[in-house]
Amino acid sequence: MNIPQLPSTPEPARKPKLEVDRRLFLKGVGVCLGMPVLESMLPAKALAGTVATDAAPAVTATGAPLRMAFVYFPNGANQKNWWPAGNGADFALGPTMQPLLGLKDKIQVVGGLDLHEAEPGNDGGGDHARANATFLTGARARKTDGSDIHVGISVDQVAAKHVGQATRFQSLELSCDSVHKAGHCDTGYSCAYQYNISWQSPTTPMTPEPNPRFVFERLFGSGPPEQRQRNYEMRMRTQKSLLDFVLDDARSIQDQVSQRDQEKLDEYLTSVRDIERRLEHAESFGPLPKPDATTPPGIPPAYGQHMDLMYDLLALAFQTDSTRIGTLLLAGDGTNRAFPEIGIAEGHHYCSHHHGNQDLIDKVGRIDLFYMQHFARFLGKLDGMKDIDGKSVLENSMIVYGCGNSDGNRHTHTNLPVVLAGQGGGTLTTGRSVHYGSLPMTNLYLTMAQRMGVTGVPRIGDSTGLLAAL
Amino acid sequence: MLFLGLGSLARAATQPAAVATYHKDISPLLEDYCYECHGDGMAKGKVAFDDLTDADLTTRPDLWFNALQNLRADIMPPLGKPRPTPDEEKAIARWIKYSAFGIDPNDPDPGRVTIRRMNRIEYGRTVRSLLGVPYPSEAEFPPDDTGHGFDNIADVLSISPLLLEKYLQAADTIITGVVPQTSRVTPEVTATGRDFRDYDGPQDLDDGEDNAGNAERTAMGRPIKYAETATVSHDFDIARDANYSVDFKLAVHGPFNFDIERCRVVASVDGVPCFDEPEGWFDDKVIQFSKDETWKAGKHRVTIAVSPLAKASWPVGIAGKDPREKTTLEVRIISVKVKGPTDPASRILPADYLRFFPKGEPSRFGFLREQYARGILRDFASRAFRRPVDDRTLERLVRLARSVDTAPGGSFEVGISRAMMAVLSSPRFIFRLEQTDPADAGARFPRLDEYSLASRLSYLLWSTMPDARLTELARKGQLRANLHAEVQRMLDDPQSSAFVRNFTGQWLQARDVEFIPINARAVLGLPAERKPGDPRVDFDGETRRAMRSETEMVVSYIIKGDRSVLELVDSNYTFLNAPLAKVYGIDGVSGKQMRFYTLPQGSFRGGVLTDGSVLTVTSNPTRTSPVKRGQFILENILGTPAPPPPPNIPPLEDAKVPGGHDPTLREMLAVHRDNQLCRSCHARMDPLGLAFENFNALGNFREKEAGVPINATGKLITGEEFTDVRGLKKIITHERRTDYYRCITEKLMTYALGRGLEYYDVEAVDRIVMDMEHDGGRFSTLLLGVIDSAPFERRRPVIKASLMALSGSPKMATGNEN
Repeated sequence: MNIPQLPSTPEPARKPKLEVDRRLFLKGVGVCLGMPVLESMLPAKALAGTVATDAAPAVTATGAPLRMAFVYFPNGANQKNWWPAGNGADFALGPTMQPLLGLKDKIQVVGGLDLHEAEPGNDGGGDHARANATFLTGARARKTDGSDIHVGISVDQVAAKHVGQATRFQSLELSCDSVHKAGHCDTGYSCAYQYNISWQSPTTPMTPEPNPRFVFERLFGSGPPEQRQRNYEMRMRTQKSLLDFVLDDARSIQDQVSQRDQEKLDEYLTSVRDIERRLEHAESFGPLPKPDATTPPGIPPAYGQHMDLMYDLLALAFQTDSTRIGTLLLAGDGTNRAFPEIGIAEGHHYCSHHHGNQDLIDKVGRIDLFYMQHFARFLGKLDGMKDIDGKSVLENSMIVYGCGNSDGNRHTHTNLPVVLAGQGGGTLTTGRSVHYGSLPMTNLYLTMAQRMGVTGVPRIGDSTGLLAAL
Repeated sequence: MLFLGLGSLARAATQPAAVATYHKDISPLLEDYCYECHGDGMAKGKVAFDDLTDADLTTRPDLWFNALQNLRADIMPPLGKPRPTPDEEKAIARWIKYSAFGIDPNDPDPGRVTIRRMNRIEYGRTVRSLLGVPYPSEAEFPPDDTGHGFDNIADVLSISPLLLEKYLQAADTIITGVVPQTSRVTPEVTATGRDFRDYDGPQDLDDGEDNAGNAERTAMGRPIKYAETATVSHDFDIARDANYSVDFKLAVHGPFNFDIERCRVVASVDGVPCFDEPEGWFDDKVIQFSKDETWKAGKHRVTIAVSPLAKASWPVGIAGKDPREKTTLEVRIISVKVKGPTDPASRILPADYLRFFPKGEPSRFGFLREQYARGILRDFASRAFRRPVDDRTLERLVRLARSVDTAPGGSFEVGISRAMMAVLSSPRFIFRLEQTDPADAGARFPRLDEYSLASRLSYLLWSTMPDARLTELARKGQLRANLHAEVQRMLDDPQSSAFVRNFTGQWLQARDVEFIPINARAVLGLPAERKPGDPRVDFDGETRRAMRSETEMVVSYIIKGDRSVLELVDSNYTFLNAPLAKVYGIDGVSGKQMRFYTLPQGSFRGGVLTDGSVLTVTSNPTRTSPVKRGQFILENILGTPAPPPPPNIPPLEDAKVPGGHDPTLREMLAVHRDNQLCRSCHARMDPLGLAFENFNALGNFREKEAGVPINATGKLITGEEFTDVRGLKKIITHERRTDYYRCITEKLMTYALGRGLEYYDVEAVDRIVMDMEHDGGRFSTLLLGVIDSAPFERRRPVIKASLMALSGSPKMATGNEN
């Protein structure tokens, strides 16, 4: 496994608390991902390319699953530390990206992408809410505290609708925000905009799961390993009978309620159909995959551990081909989390509004680095996983790591900090720094969606076309 | 803040009467008082009254609502400019409400309420009310999205596949866990951890007075620390000679990270060991084992002994543990069950069988069986749906139960269970569906039927479903007739603590104090690393919980005594325990029990604004934030939030502070206020926030910061001046009292209705505010005012979606649901 060396932080961080890292335990008996994919783990039909459409979607040229994931980090980036020196293949990673050093030829640093719909326009303040809500939708979030939420369908859900049928789960939504703040969120925007990046419709977010245990059980079943399949089958039978009942029940209510109520019932019905589809196709997906990992406990107390577990689960989901589309919201934009683990007592949002104070600017850089270290660890895991075509899972993936704010101090939404990792099954030009001048972020998404086999979707959000030579 | 837009009723383009009054009475007033900025070529904030067309007068409620709000809060005309007389102000307000908004004061529009999904707190509490078992919904379900500052806003509470999956799974887990799955079981007696006693030791090993986390401990069994040597026993009284099985369920619980502690656990029956194992670190392990016994009638003793073992060595390459850390590994006795006699002939009905199957075991005859199922399911579904279940739905439930009953391996009980799961998965349970009173059919704004009203009340005051009495009153149609008495009964019921917790927790953000990041050492300016011998400084869980309790107890005290809500802002009392008194620098309070405390004359405390909870949740992790504190007061107390900051704010580093030294916070903020762009908001927020500078980010009182005396003086944008926070509280409870009444009314109404307020709600709010003015702001006036208001009592009639589809017309007449 090719885990990059973590560089030492620019200034000596506070002495870490001396305790055995939980990860040690996980490596020993738990979530160890270094093993190659067993072919039996993968649905035969993905291999054979017998899925419904002509050109098998979300499959690479060599017949392996093609995955895409979107990881959101909050509050923009320390610009100076983020951007690499040099362009094209001849570039040097900046301080924030040092953790990616060992993976330099498997990523590309992408500059010149913008989210114009996150800019104030006539809506005034609320850049954090907009950055978050617009990131994957490329759409303008309606400024409302809750009466009429509306943004757009996010790229992952566009892809899930088109090519998600190939896997047990059309998509997987994860978050590390397990506690939401009470009261109001960003200036006049409902908190729904700030705690969700994935939207199945312009009005309905895909709730992300913050609890690693529940993610694991959802993917691989609950109970001791030898009972999971039985538990799963029993649950499927029970759920099938319940769904038959509630589907009819919901329909019988539908014509007794108003238009807006009906939209709420539609959310319910859409969810019923999603689960039904999964139950119907359960057999064709074969038995539940058995990952070489134990069920993780609940939400770990340390943020870094929480991120690692969520990344591990996303990697497991990709490795076992449980899904090919994932989103991970590391923290809602505007978060004021403190980072005692690296000696930063101030809140992230507070630091990001540094007003030119060098100490705070440096702290933003160190927070960015902290996030990057965990992302690099994730990429290392994917890189160490052998896929069915002999490549690594990372080579058969497209992973966007980015933020809807570029400069957290000024709330800018142009030239966003974005890393695109993975070779997309060999179709992406990695090992370079590329700058697109000023194009919509969604052009990247449209390009990725097409690579995933999404057809008949002319645009995503405010996209204007495809990115040339991605 | 009110948010406008959706829900506005379409009105005819021009309303001649409204237009005529405007030109005759209102326009001259605007000309006198507003045109300096909003007319005669001036259009500050893009508002010019002389540019308005006649149609604009009645079709732009957002504009008029802002005008009304600014006028009433004395924000406009700005300080120093001529103001309308009180009568003139009233005339303008009247015109805006009854003409521009078109509100009919005799039949006000109750607004649009969307069917509301239960949030996770309500779900858990409803399951408990319905089935009598706790369900940890806050751990099982992801956090709910919030809007308008609350987590019970119908439009924001969505359902995704993940959530529905969780509902289905929860239904399964809950029902299987509580409803007997068979009619015959081996008798059993269960002893929980609480039943085990140290018979030989000097004292009972009960937890003592440590209240924190007690509920959890009870549920998890009595914990025994690895480091203790403890032997605890329980005697089972056995009635007759037979074979029995003793089932042990213990758990090892510890921290997430590795711990070196080890212990030995020995379990014995009548002095004979049946389990003897060393235990090490495990953060969550359940130990289960059984022992078969042939017993004579009489007492039989089960004993569990825990003794410390030599500590484990550390894994290679890892440094030692911080010796200051307390060991937290412990063994918990979850339960010991004695099952028996184990022969089939001794089997009995499960203990709570009759609770779910009140007539005992079902008949073998299909018809009677079905009739029995119908009765059980009618009761259950009607309670769960919070209204009588309709026949069609009931028949479908009965059919579902029968199909499971008659399937191979099925049973009556499993069939009923399946139907109950279907009930818990149904949208009728997950959503709150409302109906209007049939007697009001045809009314423009009909009243809710009493079942719907009962649910509105119970979710408002208890965060759960109506109890038997409310339902019975609704069934008889007597709830309205007894409404105020019922509200009083509900407030007296312990379940009303949910209202205090959930409303206060969100309105005043008291919930957040338990998890916000605050770095005590940094706040106090201490070096990050503690030197040996330095006192420990921590913002620990105990203090955080005490802060949360304090705010909740003050609110509760006002509710219980029907006192004035002004005391929430300014009073001479609070609730304290020793840890909190220490934070506040108050001597003479000992123990962890929170108690009423009368503050000395001249105290800076008193009222929730200077509670530790509010002071800390409005701070940054290392220092105070006058901006956040000011915004908190504007948003939650005065109800006149600052307008959102303008786009493209220039960064502050460009702004120069005179004097060439590092600017103080006050100077930095002064730069804000000097800048034309920043001033509109910061002139409102900053003086309010700076008034609280006598309190640091931990809620400690201070007279100096970094050696410089605190300057907490200020002047509100409306002109009132104060020297410190005590003066500010007086201003809020006197000069700005109406703003506060209006704000708290809007907050409570938002929470009660589960929707944001709209311009047409202003009439309902005004009436409550007026009543509060008359009796000094009694809590009951506020609460009953909300409950008796049109938006709470009534709803727009439902225009069925199916009819909409048939008519094919997207536009509905005024006053309809769509």
